[in-house]
Amino acid sequence: MSSVSIRNVTKAFGDHVVLSEFNQTFEDGEFVTLLGPSGCGKTTMLRMIAGFEKPTSGEILFGDKVVSSDRVFLPPEKRGIGMVFQSYAVWPHMTVFENVAYPLRIMKMPKDDVTRQVQEVLEIVHLSQYAQRIPSQLSGGQQQRVALARALVAKPELLLLDEPLSNLDAKLRESMRFEIKEIQTKLGITVVYVTHDQTEAMAMSDRVVLINRGKIQQVAPPAEIYDHPANQFVADFLGKVDFLSGEAGGGCIRLDGIEQTIPYDGERVGRVEVAVRPERITLSTKEGTLRGTLVNQYYLGDVNDCRVQVGEKQLRVITEPETYARMKLGDPVYLTFREQIVFDEEGSLEDKLKIVT
Amino acid sequence: MRNRGKGSEILCKVTLAVLFVLGIVLILGGVWGNGQFETAGFSQENAFSLIYRLTSESDALYRKGIEPAIRQSGTDAAAMGEISRELLVSAWGGEERVSEALGETSGTARTERELKLLAATYAMGGPKIKTAQRKQLAALSAQDRGAMMTAILKTLSGDEQPLPGPAAELCEGLSGTEKTAMLMQIFLTSANMDGEPLSSDLVSELKKAARTEDMRITAYTWAVEGRMNWFAQVFCSAGKTFVLIGILLALDVLILFFWLLAERHWKLDVKWMIILLIADFLLVFQVLPTVNLVINAFFPDGRFSLSTIERLYTYDLNLSALSNTLIAASCTMVLGTVLAFPLAWLVGRTNLYGRKFFRSLFVLTYMVPPYVGAMAWLRLLNPNVGDINVALRGLFGLGDTPGPLNIYSLPGLIWVLTTFYYPYAFITISRAMEKMDPSLEEASRVSGASPLKTVARITFPIMTPSLIAGALLVFVSAASCYGIPSIIGAPGRVHTVTTRIIDYVGRGSEGMNDATGMGVFLMVLAIIILYISDFVVAKRQYITVSGKSVQPNIVDLRKWRKPITALVALFACIVILIPFATILITSFKVDLGKSLFAEGNFSFKQWTTIFSRDEMIECMKNSFVFAIITATVGIVVACTMSYLLQRTKIRGRKLPDFLITLGSGTPSVVIALSLILSMRGDFGINIYKTAYIMIIAYLIKYLMMGMRTVVSAMSQIHVSLEECSQISGASWLKTMFKITGPLIFPSIAAGWFLIFIPSFYELSMTTLLYGNGTKTIGFELYEYWTFTSQPMACAMAFAILLIVVILNFVLNKLTRGEFSI
Repeated sequence: MSSVSIRNVTKAFGDHVVLSEFNQTFEDGEFVTLLGPSGCGKTTMLRMIAGFEKPTSGEILFGDKVVSSDRVFLPPEKRGIGMVFQSYAVWPHMTVFENVAYPLRIMKMPKDDVTRQVQEVLEIVHLSQYAQRIPSQLSGGQQQRVALARALVAKPELLLLDEPLSNLDAKLRESMRFEIKEIQTKLGITVVYVTHDQTEAMAMSDRVVLINRGKIQQVAPPAEIYDHPANQFVADFLGKVDFLSGEAGGGCIRLDGIEQTIPYDGERVGRVEVAVRPERITLSTKEGTLRGTLVNQYYLGDVNDCRVQVGEKQLRVITEPETYARMKLGDPVYLTFREQIVFDEEGSLEDKLKIVT
Repeated sequence: MRNRGKGSEILCKVTLAVLFVLGIVLILGGVWGNGQFETAGFSQENAFSLIYRLTSESDALYRKGIEPAIRQSGTDAAAMGEISRELLVSAWGGEERVSEALGETSGTARTERELKLLAATYAMGGPKIKTAQRKQLAALSAQDRGAMMTAILKTLSGDEQPLPGPAAELCEGLSGTEKTAMLMQIFLTSANMDGEPLSSDLVSELKKAARTEDMRITAYTWAVEGRMNWFAQVFCSAGKTFVLIGILLALDVLILFFWLLAERHWKLDVKWMIILLIADFLLVFQVLPTVNLVINAFFPDGRFSLSTIERLYTYDLNLSALSNTLIAASCTMVLGTVLAFPLAWLVGRTNLYGRKFFRSLFVLTYMVPPYVGAMAWLRLLNPNVGDINVALRGLFGLGDTPGPLNIYSLPGLIWVLTTFYYPYAFITISRAMEKMDPSLEEASRVSGASPLKTVARITFPIMTPSLIAGALLVFVSAASCYGIPSIIGAPGRVHTVTTRIIDYVGRGSEGMNDATGMGVFLMVLAIIILYISDFVVAKRQYITVSGKSVQPNIVDLRKWRKPITALVALFACIVILIPFATILITSFKVDLGKSLFAEGNFSFKQWTTIFSRDEMIECMKNSFVFAIITATVGIVVACTMSYLLQRTKIRGRKLPDFLITLGSGTPSVVIALSLILSMRGDFGINIYKTAYIMIIAYLIKYLMMGMRTVVSAMSQIHVSLEECSQISGASWLKTMFKITGPLIFPSIAAGWFLIFIPSFYELSMTTLLYGNGTKTIGFELYEYWTFTSQPMACAMAFAILLIVVILNFVLNKLTRGEFSI
């Protein structure tokens, strides 16, 4: 029952359409991430699943039960879901135990069962020894785990997470990321996760739903969405990318402003847009497809982040850290694209990449 | 470098030492001078007893008040003189002073003088006789009146006589000096039906003469003439002032010394001077008077005694005042909070129609002088002619009996207090509601709780500290309110602590001690509540008030949306529209008893009068001038304090802050009372009955309103904005003017208005502090209401309302919509 089907959901506030024609099914036990820049409509989608917002049109089903449509609208308390909020929303006037026990007490569960179940879930989130603390005595990460425990305690089959890690510091965020994933795998529940952080999305999801300007851009597992972005926006939003425009034909693409060609065996002919990931470019001082000049390099420890001038264009190239000592600025270098994505050119690129907030 | 540091250290230490020595010299010199003065036999008390001999006013007093009394009373003049003399002796506490005041007179002249003094003693304040009762007295036949006056005089002399109807009614429930004063009033009123036995101008002149500096100086001059050199004379005539300045100087130097010692950095910082200056001001005008008030209550004759307290709190009238105050304040608190919470929730968190409009409407009431509400409800719920009562009688066919509702009662008082103080709770609660994170409630919903359950188990508990804070604010405001009980309570004999205090103060020096005894009660009550709400409840506060506002999630009222909006609109009609409309309508009436549309009952007379009568214009001008000065001085102090609090870690910055908080929590009546007690020369400052004392009182009471506004604005501006300006090369001063100033300007403007508006129409403190040339519009309105013309008072009230609304509009424009009250 815990699959979520969203059918033709549109949401508008007045004349402003924030989400249009959303169609998607989240499978049972799946970890789905709604990813996109802020204001893209992902949180609105999550709030519609939770029942805090009513879709302007369309249906939402849990399993085969309609929870939201033109005729039916189940309020959040009747949907039996768990949810973690960006601000944690841990109630300040209750202890950790009371916070976590709340959903069970609302269900009027016998006292002993409440105690047992709360202890179980506190065990899972490593908070057993903090049960009697009040939230203000806890750190951000601990409050986050209280919120998680509260969302899990009633054993929901669907868990909604609204940017739960955005208020934590970098180190904690990383460890919580894996913790949440681990809990999800252990309990086998369906998770819908909202974030604007692509690393989080990549690390945790089974599938990523990338949204921009209220429209789904691509739905795919992390590796696929990274390697085969459906359009320029996806390519740009996930990871780093160099864009080059050019003319395809005759087994190669002639790049504008560079006046050199790269080999191409695809089907496209005419004006195209080439996207290439900086870490998938081989940089060599001896040979390659494109010739350029090293204009800058930054030693980042794990990689060497270079800027290479090729004709009128400057490309970002990420290469092994050892190269930093071997090259100096002004050196002639050669680039080879190990992998490239070619799109048809449609309108101005700037416009495509613009993020609406 | 090292040497220069050493040099400034020595300079600093020397300066401190010199200032300290100067302080000590001033103290010693002042004490010596005062001693000289005392040994010359002229303590201030003696100077007081001289007044009746010295003031020419007594003749005017005689002509206007006593002569007709003697002529009309028809009693034996000599016997009257005898009675008066006995009363004087008991009132003044000794034969000696009476003889001194009477001087070498005899016969009728002596009798006249005796009566004059007696009248001056009792009639200066005391319970006032209201117009209605005056009419009752006037209705008596000349013979009956003569008999009544004889009975009064005999009763006064100790030979209790049964008093006829109206007099007995007026004295009901009174005893002791209160009864005496009332009898004297009835006597004098009956003797002179045209007006007051003593005009209020005369009374205030008399009071003023008793305390002016001139009197003191005259007394001094007499004492020291020809016997001392000029140096001695300077120290003698201002001995106490020198002691005060000396003590402050020495104290400041000591404090500075210890701060510097702790800092280990011997450099005099201007910031410290400013803090000390503000602290000194508060010390002299707030702490000293308050302490003096307590001392006065517990040490009536210089020795510790609970006799005042015992006397006060065993007297029935005071006990009823006490219980009335507590009952009225508690009921107002409960009712006000019960009203405010759902209103705040509906306006803040639901899709009620016209939420923003209702919000501004409820908040606006906060800025309306409470006595205006009392006046309106009096017109509406007067048991005989109140419009609502008349309407109800017509509706249910109750005939011509009074009622069914009676405003002159404890429930009536509670009702009016509630309609005027619930906005205090409303503002506190709705502010907290706006700051509450909506996901706290959403988390409860996804946990399976219904919206109602969520309100009960999440919203309400989280709001509780704010709810309590709001409730306590209502309690303390209602308990220390004077305007409403003085208008509603007094005619209905529903006394409260504040009205009792003002009655006592009106009774002259003897009453002062009793007033302080009552004042201490009110002060202790206020301090306890201030402590609870600022230190106990605030600690449990879950919502940080300075935090960012969040977009609250709006509850859809669905099918209830229209009925609930109608209900809220009805409430707004009852508590705001109807009272204000009543005030406006009354202001055009000629005959109060008739409908506005009755033949010839509509007139602009009142309105043209209030803008043309010299007396009115004078009062209006006073109000504006005092309020502008108060607000301007206040906002300068507020900005300085905000800077010190928010931008420096300077030692001692919390001290003035604490005192300012304490001052604003002290009931107005207590502030005024303590200022009267301490500012008429006993401590070297004599500003009684001047504009200064009123401005100082307003400052103490309202300074915090401005300060909080500026402090919270400044806390929102990150210090990096200022640092960035300084990095860019701007000086500190330039940064203040170019960056900080413009950013917090809206708050400064709002703070200025928040001090200006309540100072403008203030009544409770003004009643106690006004002098002949310092009457304000609030007090003038109150006098017109009580003694002269209710329609006129209503016209003034509505004019005040208009001024408040206009100022609010100006503020809104000035701050580009960011602030309105």
